[in-house]
Order: sequence, then structure tokens, then C-alpha cells
Amino acid sequence: MTSQEIWVYAEKHVGIIQPVTYQLITKANEIAGDKKVVVILFESEDQKLEEAIKEYGPDEIIVVKDNRLENAMDSEIASLMAELAERRQPNSILFGATVVGRSIAPRLQAKLNTGLTSDCLDLSFDSDLLVQTKPSYGDNIMCEIISPNHRPQMASVRPNTFEAKKSSSKTVEVTEINDLTFKEAARVKIIEETPLISKSDSIANADRVIALGRGSIDDKELALAEELARKLGAKIGVTRPLTDHPRFSGEDQIGQSGNTIAPKILINLGIHGAVQYTTGIENAELVISVNKDSEAPIFNYSDFSYVGNSADFLKEFLKVIQ
Amino acid sequence: MSLKIVVCIKQVPVSNNLKIDPVTKNLVRSGEAGVMNPYDKNAIEAALRLKEEWGGEITLLSMGPPDFEMTLRQGLAMGCDDAVLLSSRQFGGADTLATGYVLAQAIKELGNVDLVLFGRQSVDADTSQVGPIVSEFLDWPQITFVSELHSHTKNSMTATRLLENMQQKIEFQLPAVVTVRSEMNEPRYPTPRNIQQSYKKTIRIWDENSLPVDADRIGLKGSPTVVRSVWAPEKEAKATTFLKGSADEAVRELLIQLRATNLL
Ligand SMILES: Cc1cc2nc3c(=O)[nH]c(=O)nc-3n(C[C@H](O)[C@H](O)[C@H](O)COP(=O)(O)OP(=O)(O)OC[C@H]3O[C@@H](n4cnc5c(N)ncnc54)[C@H](O)[C@@H]3O)c2cc1C
Ligand SMILES: Nc1ncnc2c1ncn2[C@@H]1O[C@H](COP(=O)(O)O)[C@@H](O)[C@H]1O
Repeated sequence: MTSQEIWVYAEKHVGIIQPVTYQLITKANEIAGDKKVVVILFESEDQKLEEAIKEYGPDEIIVVKDNRLENAMDSEIASLMAELAERRQPNSILFGATVVGRSIAPRLQAKLNTGLTSDCLDLSFDSDLLVQTKPSYGDNIMCEIISPNHRPQMASVRPNTFEAKKSSSKTVEVTEINDLTFKEAARVKIIEETPLISKSDSIANADRVIALGRGSIDDKELALAEELARKLGAKIGVTRPLTDHPRFSGEDQIGQSGNTIAPKILINLGIHGAVQYTTGIENAELVISVNKDSEAPIFNYSDFSYVGNSADFLKEFLKVIQ
Repeated sequence: MSLKIVVCIKQVPVSNNLKIDPVTKNLVRSGEAGVMNPYDKNAIEAALRLKEEWGGEITLLSMGPPDFEMTLRQGLAMGCDDAVLLSSRQFGGADTLATGYVLAQAIKELGNVDLVLFGRQSVDADTSQVGPIVSEFLDWPQITFVSELHSHTKNSMTATRLLENMQQKIEFQLPAVVTVRSEMNEPRYPTPRNIQQSYKKTIRIWDENSLPVDADRIGLKGSPTVVRSVWAPEKEAKATTFLKGSADEAVRELLIQLRATNLL
């Protein structure tokens, strides 16, 4: 018998729980019905990350403490998770579709011989069945995916797809488990971890973003955009073609194969509005777009639109907010 | 001794106007022109550089319909030595688990492989699952989303793995699985000589009889996931306000609106 537990893998980087974990707990609480939401947390002995997680109101937090978990490899986490899953037989297991989530989850999937859907944009339950909505080819197509005959049902969810909400309505049970076998990964070890003054992280979490497309990338215009970004405290993101520009990389890319962003204000300059781009901006609150083509599809995703030259618009914007 | 490298590559449709089979709900791939998954080119480039450094042999491996040969040919033209296409009706309808299983069995069959390279993800399915699944089935270390790879000796390497907000340096020994980001390198173009040579090479086609595979773990049967429905999302256009006039008039109008909502 599988239990009625929905598991959320708690992802942490250098001692900080990643926002996607809280987003997943909130979503799991929303869809759980009478299922239990259980967070799985691996931490070193002196950490107390469960305290932060409690605020989001899961039913239970399973804590595994071991100093070797500070720099654990994917396969080590996957085998601990597999052992736990074999004991408790959860109904489903959720990960963030981050680099770590996308690396551990499939390894665990293979161990448990079950289904995994990556990069979901929505989740719901149809009685016991986890219905996973996943975009595919260029986000042009959406699929509903299920694993009818396998448990646990596994999914990873794109960061910033769901909103995290604190919740104090439940008492959170904390269970420490310390009899799992730590299968040390042979022949591989992390020798250094450096936090990045990360571009990708900052556009994903930035409140203000200026996005540049192929229509707005000469050096002069880039300088204007950078100045405006400084003045507004905004981060600069780009469409995929601009990742070839020496100033940018894949980490700065917005869209289906880049970052999903959720700023309060987004200014699109010289961006056509291909679906692969616009899926990345669906969670932006207020969208302003400038394009010289009055038919550009980007206007369909915008609150304010200006048909004209983006460099002129930038110059005027800078003048006005002096 | 030199390195034996396998690079797993996949063919993806060129356009996003794809068709969906109404019965199997899978993408209809045949008939549609295909190209090599862009990240897989970075994986091939990484393999070629390691071979230049240490000597060895690069085998391309792909599972898919017969027209995937085209992509394998392209990889050979970049300078790889050999190619195997895993192709059979029995393999059809595979999800990532069944794909990973067959690829892993083929890698075992090739034997004495030191390093298996993957692209970070395919641009059609976009899952990034296949590399880690294969790695688990081989019971090898995996280093995913790698942006830099340096080899110190023939079988010890350091990789830089890029996460969202940190970077890890990882030391590892072969055999191992590495999945490659586009930041790692600039894939080379095939030279005329290599293109010519590639047509002299035969692509081996393997099916379920060429490999020890469990019939329950391949194709549709070996795939836990089922596509329940597929649709093209319709996006409702936002009600947009066009800012009129010259750029300075437009900006002034915009700022009035933004300030009214306390956004600036
Ligand atoms: C599988 C797949 C995944 C993809 N993933 C992504 C992704 O994650 N992110 C992404 O962005 N793309 C992605 N793409 C590419 C995407 O389809 C588009 O090609 C890309 O978004 C176009 O970028 P663009 O709008 O900057 O360029 P273009 O399409 O070239 O548009 C430039 C625009 O600028 C306007 N313009 C030109 N000059 C000016 C001016 N002086 N002032 C104002 N406007 C001007 C033009 O009218 C035009 O609309 C993906 C494609 C595929 C196939
Ligand atoms: N059918 C396949 N044959 C060979 N390699 C594949 C296949 N599907 C995926 N891969 C490899 O796995 C990587 C990740 O693919 P995916 O898990 O589909 O995102 C790709 O970049 C390829 O290197």
C-alpha cells in the first residue's frame, strides 16, 4: 500500500532553503485534500533549517542530519531518498526544476523504477492520480502526464510557477531519522562551492527587469539600457539570440529554455514576442513593451505598448527620471 | 591506453509546428526535418577535445527512428569515429526511463567505456532526465550541467557545475557521466575532409536482439508515464494601452500611469 503522502524535497544552497521549496509546499497544501504534505530535509548536524520551513505549514518535516550532507553528491541524496521512499511509500514526490532537482530526481526515478515529469507548470490530483501539466516543444504544446501504474509519482516544477505563502494553521510535526545508510559516491567529490553574484538568480527573483531583444542591441543602446537599469534598480535579461553577445550568456536568458521571471515591472525592448520567450514572462505583473513593428505579438502580452524606436524611448525615459 | 568516449545525441524537429499522433499522443517525428539537439553538439565538441588531448575513440549513440541516421552522420562529420543507432519498433513510444534503460544497456554492450557525454537537455522534450537515468543504471558518478571540463590525467578530471546561484568545482575519476552546457565550448563545423570520411563510415543499427534487454522495460511497455491529453495553449491577449505620440510624450504618459499605481 502506498501511503497518502506528498513529499517535497527541500533544496538548499549553502545553508539557505531555496524559494522553490516554499512554492512547492504551498502548492502541495493547496492540492493535498486529505493527503499529508511531508518535507524531506537533509542537513548537517548544526543546521536548523526546519525552523524556516515550518512557517509554510507542511504537516511533517522529515529531517536527516549528517555532516556529510553539507556537500552531498546527487547519487548520495538519491539513494537516501530511495531508502526513505521504500519505507514510507509516498504517493508522490515533488522537486524544484532547478539544476539540483533536475539531477537528483531522474536518478531517484531510475532507482524506484517509476515515472517522472520534468519542468511542470501545474499539478493537481484526480483522486490518487497526480496530473502533471508539462509544456513541450517550445512551450507551444501542453501535455497532461500521469503515471497510472507506478508509485511514487514524481514531478519537478519550474521555479516561480507557484507563489509561496506562509501558513500557521497547522502544527508541524518534525521527525528525525538517523538510521539511513549513507552510500558514499565513489570517485567524485565537490572541492569548492562559490556563490555566484548570480545573474540568472537575480533576474529570476528581480522586482524590475529590462529585457533586450535583437532589435535593441547595438552598443549605444546597451549602454542606455544599463544606465536605466542602474537608476531603476533593475536587472537586464535577454532573448535567446542575444545570449551570443559577449556581454550575455544563457544565464541571462528569459523564456522557455532560460529563466522564468516574475518581476513587478518588465520593460521589453526590441523583442518580437515568440512563444518561447513569452512563456518566461507570464508571471510578470506589469509589462511595458517597445517595438517598431505595430504588429509585433509582444504587444499581446503587454499592459503598455509603444510603437517606435526603443533607443529613443530609453533616452527619453532616462531624461524624465533624472 | 586511450579514452573510450560515448556521446549520446538526439535528433529534434527543426520547427515548432509539430504534429501529434492522435492515438499514441507522441510527436510524429518522421517526415519532419530534424536537426541535432544543439546541446549535443557541445557534448561532441567536448569529446573531440578530450580525444585530441589523450587519444582515443568516440562513439555516437542515439535511439530513434531510422531518419536519426542523418544526425549521426553529422556527428561523424564533426570528427567522431563511430556511430550506433538503436532503432526498432519495440523501442518506440519510450519515455525517458525506457530510453535511459536502452541507452545504458547499449553502453554496457559497447564495453570498456570511460566517459559518457550528454547534452544538458533536449530542446523538444526539455526534460534533462536521460543523462542522470543512464548514470544511475550504470551506477557511475554523474556531473550534470557542466560548463567547464579539465582533464589532469587520462582518467581524472575537474568539472565546473553551474547552479542557479552558485558554482561547484567537482573532481572525479572515470568512468563517469557528464552532461554539458552550451557555455562549455563552441562546437566546430565539419571540415570537407571529415564530411567525406563520414560517408565511408557505416552506422551500426542495433535492435532489441542486439542487446540484452528486458522486454518489459523497453518502448511503451517500459514507460511509466502516459500522456493523457495534449493541447496547444491559447493565450488570451492582454488589454494593452498604446502609448501615443513621440517617444518623450509616450514616456511621460507612462510615468503618470506608473506613479498613479505606485509602481515607480
Ligand atoms: C526549442 C526552442 C526554445 C527557445 N527558447 C527560447 C527562450 O527561452 N527564450 C527566447 O527568448 N527565445 C527562445 N527561442 C527562440 C525564439 O523562438 C525567438 O527566435 C526569439 O525569442 C526571438 O528573439 P527576439 O525577439 O530578440 O528577436 P527577433 O525575432 O529578431 O525580433 C526582434 C524584434 O525587434 C524589433 N525591432 C527591431 N529594431 C527595433 C528598434 N530599433 N526599436 C524597437 N524594436 C525594434 C523587431 O520589430 C522585432 O519584433 C527558442 C526557440 C526554440 C525553437
Ligand atoms: N533518444 C535519445 N538517444 C540518445 N540520446 C538521447 C536521447 N534522448 C535524450 N538523449 C540525450 O540526453 C540528453 C538529455 O535529453 P532529455 O532528457 O530528453 O532532455 C540529450 O541532450 C541527449 O544527449
